[in-house]
Amino acid sequence: MRKTLEVINELKREGLIKDYAIGGAIAALRWTEPFFTRDLDIFVIPQKEPNEKELVILSDIYEYLKDRGYNQWIGQWLIIEGVPVEFIPAEGLAREALDNAITIEFEGIETRVISPEYLIALFLKAFREKDKAKIQLLLQQAEINMERLKLLLNKYNLTGRFNSIYKNE
Amino acid sequence: MSEEKIKILTKDNRIITLKELFEEQEKTHKEQASLPFEEKIRILVELQKLALNWGNRKNVIVWDIKDV
Repeated sequence: MRKTLEVINELKREGLIKDYAIGGAIAALRWTEPFFTRDLDIFVIPQKEPNEKELVILSDIYEYLKDRGYNQWIGQWLIIEGVPVEFIPAEGLAREALDNAITIEFEGIETRVISPEYLIALFLKAFREKDKAKIQLLLQQAEINMERLKLLLNKYNLTGRFNSIYKNE
Repeated sequence: MSEEKIKILTKDNRIITLKELFEEQEKTHKEQASLPFEEKIRILVELQKLALNWGNRKNVIVWDIKDV
């Protein structure tokens, strides 16, 4: 995964994205015990703002990567150095999560990963069964700043969903 | 019978209650959570191989990473 992160860091260095952070299951796995997942979700702030139709354009990223030889797609995933990657534009809660992401190192490569509190909020927003399972893992195994989490849940109207899970803890 | 009363002989010849077994399992999960990120990714790739080969989940992509 080090090489994959190097390529993603290159996107930032070359000005194709303003910033990025690892999200989804791989971000959760940073804070919990290992569990099965398929892909690497990368939340990005594209260099270009959404156009007048509020359409986020990621084609510059894909064109750049294609020129670098990364042209193998499996479903929605672009394979970068052996890892299926999905780029997700960060808007709203995800944008705030990205802005507050934590800088870490992976095999000497600097990268950023979404914090457990923001991950819980993002999973609550998606609220599929697999998201609920990840929330429970995070609550059991990660160090959660409950005050920060409560503020987030209030801000994004996620308290009701959280309580429905937390009561089962 | 309650979790406090049911006893188990462990592989290292200790007798523990079911409740203690669950507590030990919980401790192991937390220890796994504190593994280095790189180690967790290595384990993830092994889980993907298991899902593909043993779980017969043909749509699983095993990450082809030489570094980790």
